[in-house]
Amino acid sequence: MDWFTIYLPIAGIHFNVLVLLLIGFTVGVCGGFFGIGGAWIVTPALNIFGFPMPYAIGTDLAHMGGKSIVSTIRHGKFGNVDLKLGVSMIVGTTVGMELGATLVMALERAGLAESYIRIAYIIFLTAIGSYVLHDYIQHTRRQRMPVAQSGAAVPAESFAQRLQRVHIPPMIHCPASGVTCSLWLPVLVGLTTGVVAAVLGVGGGFIRMPALIYLVGCPTAVAVGTDLFEVMITGAYGAFTYGVKGRVELVAAVWMLLGAAVGAQLGTVAVKYVRGYSIRLLFAMTIFIACTSVVLKQLEFQVASSITILTAGVAISGVILWWLVQGVRAERRARRSGSELGF
Amino acid sequence: MNRNDPCATAVWRRAMHVAGIVAGVVWTHAVLAAPAKPATKLVNVADTRDMLPGFSRWLADVYNESLWSYGALVVVTMVVMGLGLGLVADRLVGLLGIDLGKLKHHE
Repeated sequence: MDWFTIYLPIAGIHFNVLVLLLIGFTVGVCGGFFGIGGAWIVTPALNIFGFPMPYAIGTDLAHMGGKSIVSTIRHGKFGNVDLKLGVSMIVGTTVGMELGATLVMALERAGLAESYIRIAYIIFLTAIGSYVLHDYIQHTRRQRMPVAQSGAAVPAESFAQRLQRVHIPPMIHCPASGVTCSLWLPVLVGLTTGVVAAVLGVGGGFIRMPALIYLVGCPTAVAVGTDLFEVMITGAYGAFTYGVKGRVELVAAVWMLLGAAVGAQLGTVAVKYVRGYSIRLLFAMTIFIACTSVVLKQLEFQVASSITILTAGVAISGVILWWLVQGVRAERRARRSGSELGF
Repeated sequence: MNRNDPCATAVWRRAMHVAGIVAGVVWTHAVLAAPAKPATKLVNVADTRDMLPGFSRWLADVYNESLWSYGALVVVTMVVMGLGLGLVADRLVGLLGIDLGKLKHHE
């Protein structure tokens, strides 16, 4: 298959263009739908196909910046990006990432970084995945109960609502998410997720998206859009620092971005047809698969770990595209009959 | 484009067929491109000896001359491509007859 093989001079390897397009497309669909960067798919995928690890990370960050712009434009038009919230979080995220990086350096000096970080990652992913899944099950049960039994008329106050009631000036109103809270809430959420993201060595979408829902109180679609705005900023910053260190293969990033642009657009549009809680369910499943992959890596099953994550990425994007097709069909039917949409 | 227009349905159906064929071809090639052992590269020098003049060669030259310029080039390329592709892809999805207006949030 030499027709599609190109020479990548920076990484110093030959690579199949179609593989780059496929990786880009898959991560574009997942990223646009969940509001994540997708480093957990791209980095092992590039590495397993022959990229040296630092180049895999740098190239992933570079294409992530471009791909997030594509998704953020679409989410912005849908009204899913809360700029005020996003900008407030950037300050906390930046400081948090620096603090996290300092902590990692300290662990590295003590010779504990590798195993401690991986174990922290497993615990964190399990906790987030379990909570999101628990929330989905509770929600489904409430939906199935008659109104009188479930108490749906007076819904219980959520943790996010309790946090919103803390009046520490200055207070801000975020119109897209409909949240009024102390400025310190998004700053602290950004700080915490920044520390965790830097310690775990990830972009942070996995942590920030549920944090926006459960701590700030955003609707799911706005959490996805606002998180992508953050990913766009961190992706651009990461692309620059890795570029200056000479660890970005720009030709590969360009090809991946071509695939990702189409995937991101489709993944983002799919959000329109899916109810917030269905996004949360698929997100929880994705987290568990990512967690399984890290466990396999910890047990030194490197190939099994990479294959698990790759297969999962393709399967999840398949589910999202299926929902998109079903949604478009339902929309066409609904236009004729005037009924409501959403899975 | 009229969204109830049968032409829009035909465009959508045709697009799905083309997407299916493209996905099949890409998948086959991806499976045939056997996973390789990760390479190692320790020095920041791009080997341009066998490269013909073109975009890749130019990038490699920028990389060899100044990593700061290369870092800036990476960011500018991704931002310009992201904006351009975002707008183009937006128009293409609009052509499929999907309503891309403001979204109502339903949990």
